[in-house]
Amino acid sequence: MNTAAPLRTLGRVALPGIRAAGALTLVLARTLRHLPHLSGRECLRSLVLYGYQSLPLTLGVGTLAGATVVLQAGIYAERFGARQYLGWAGGYAVLWEFGPLLLGLVMAGRVGARNAAELALLKTNGQLEGLRGISLDPFRYLVAPRVVASAVAITCLATLTYFVAALWETVAAYFALGLPARVFLGSFADMLRPNDVLGSLLKTAVFGTAIALVSTAAGLAAQGGARGVGRAAAAAVVFGCASIFALDFLITPLLARWLT
Amino acid sequence: MELATSHLVVDFGPHRALDDVSLHFPLGSQLLLYGPSGGGKTTLLKALAGLVLPTRGQVLWNGRDRLTLSRGETRDAQAHMGMVFQTDALFDTLTVERNVALPLERKGLSAAAVEEKVANALARVGLKAAAQKRPEHLSGGMRKRAGIARALVMEPWVLFADDPLAGLDPETAAGISALLLEVSHGRTLIAAMPDPHPSLPLARTLRLTPMARDVDNRSTA
Amino acid sequence: MRAFVRSSGASALLFSRTVKAVRRDGLTLRALLEQLHELIGRSAFLVTLGMAFFGTVIVTIAYAQARKYTGNITLVGPAYFELMVREFGPLTVALLLASRAGASASAEQASMSVNEQIDALTLSGIDPLAYLVAPRVLACAIGLPLLTVLGTVAASLGAALTVTHSFGADGRSFIDPQFVDSGDVMCAGVKAVLCGLYIPLAASARAITAQGGAQAVGRAVTTGVVEACMGCLVIDFVVAAAFWGITR
Repeated sequence: MNTAAPLRTLGRVALPGIRAAGALTLVLARTLRHLPHLSGRECLRSLVLYGYQSLPLTLGVGTLAGATVVLQAGIYAERFGARQYLGWAGGYAVLWEFGPLLLGLVMAGRVGARNAAELALLKTNGQLEGLRGISLDPFRYLVAPRVVASAVAITCLATLTYFVAALWETVAAYFALGLPARVFLGSFADMLRPNDVLGSLLKTAVFGTAIALVSTAAGLAAQGGARGVGRAAAAAVVFGCASIFALDFLITPLLARWLT
Repeated sequence: MELATSHLVVDFGPHRALDDVSLHFPLGSQLLLYGPSGGGKTTLLKALAGLVLPTRGQVLWNGRDRLTLSRGETRDAQAHMGMVFQTDALFDTLTVERNVALPLERKGLSAAAVEEKVANALARVGLKAAAQKRPEHLSGGMRKRAGIARALVMEPWVLFADDPLAGLDPETAAGISALLLEVSHGRTLIAAMPDPHPSLPLARTLRLTPMARDVDNRSTA
Repeated sequence: MRAFVRSSGASALLFSRTVKAVRRDGLTLRALLEQLHELIGRSAFLVTLGMAFFGTVIVTIAYAQARKYTGNITLVGPAYFELMVREFGPLTVALLLASRAGASASAEQASMSVNEQIDALTLSGIDPLAYLVAPRVLACAIGLPLLTVLGTVAASLGAALTVTHSFGADGRSFIDPQFVDSGDVMCAGVKAVLCGLYIPLAASARAITAQGGAQAVGRAVTTGVVEACMGCLVIDFVVAAAFWGITR
């Protein structure tokens, strides 16, 4: 009894973890297997649903992120002088770290929750089982397109966010700090090399894939009506966020070493 | 104690759920609403109970427009209405006993008085033995009975029953019908169902359909 | 933009109705403690670990930048610490809470609405706003400032330890408060309280009126989380701009 207690505790902690890892691997493997022959229509539909309909949100996040960065950078620019690197170094690191993270978090809420809710609905309504009943693989027709669409949508939206943020930063720098656009963009070019941009985009692609996998696994695990759908969507958001922070922690040092 | 609607219209966005419904319920009257889903049965029950607000027209409680009542008056009136919900609407985190005690929570009664009232209500629906269980461990029929007990605990003068026999086997359904008829004695009973059920014969019926509403019984209603 | 105005309007309306409901019905300490545990206590682990990771990542990038231009990473330490206290800490923790607590609160309340439990409360003479929304709003308004302190400490320690152990420089500069003044702390505090008020309101606004089965629950969670996140971003920017205007 006493010797079994620690083991039991270990099991309680480890089993859900192993189960989750198994579920994620399964989703990834089955999606990759179906990648060559996906249903184009279903992909397009999901892309519109996850990507196109998130455009206003993305523009909003880009605008706010850009304005916030300039505001913070402006405080330092005033303190240290606008063209001093020290002041701007903060601003750029903010953009290239904060941008992907911020967008990842918001997308985990938007695309992740939506994807999980959709799949949970299909699952609890029995539509996934129904397809299997007429010997069609539900994964190929309904699940895999959503995984692909989530990952693609997040990566594309992230790229767009950068441009929007940079644009608003230029505008805000001009009005708030009186910095001409050419100087601002010039210092941009001084500070950032193509590799930095590539690194950030790579990061968002990883985040996008992670959100897609996590939310799909959460959606497919849903059970039992309205409450189950709600739980699945909430779980997708929480585990999506957690995985973003963890992946950020894991890949940033690798990227930093590889790119410099 | 009487309940009425006058030219009641309820819209949900672009969708019209109820169109120009005028009904009158003196104390002790019975009405069965039936018709296909989407016909507005649940909406009418909830409008009568003050849970859904009219878009146009009036819901009258004792002759007074529900919208003109203060919040306190609304709450007092609602405290004497009982509803058996389609989904049971029991809280799975609370025991059956605590579920039934919920309407008494804000009454400022002593613990002993609450306990007595809850015990009485549970005895009337035959659920005394299940008082300490959680609703998720009950069968469909027992959940319905728990819902009826909660509706009864405030001694309401009107009892609404939204699809009370859904998903029950014929024997259980007959039992629930008999219970509803028994406990609604001296109260107004308004029930909604997809089709009239032989075990629940109510004095009047009204058919509600999604597109155009039939007028059978409306004049007498 | 119109959607955003509508959602903030809905949240403001919900706030005033909730305040009125609490004036009438009061609020039990027990309900508040339950929500503090559910929404704040259960988020503490996510916030601590996430923010420690975040601090590590931030200095990794700062190190890469510093090596290119200034050569000495300890020079930017105090500035980073100030940025952490007034900007990164409050915003990132608020977004984490918006995701974690916003999602669970809106999922729970939307399923309660779909399962007619909110109607059952109303007919039982219990105001759903006082019973469900108010404890969550108060719990987050009290709890988010605490989580912000926790998260900022975790991130700064993560940063300092990384600099010391991985980069071999003096990590203490990343917890050097030479630039941090009362304005920074106030700015962070105001952000945390406002976001704490807003998150549960945004999560509940759509959820407590959700109608129509599982689909409505999914929709309520998605919009709830997104509106909570967007609200935090807007609050963060507006407060930062206001403090900038005051202190410059």
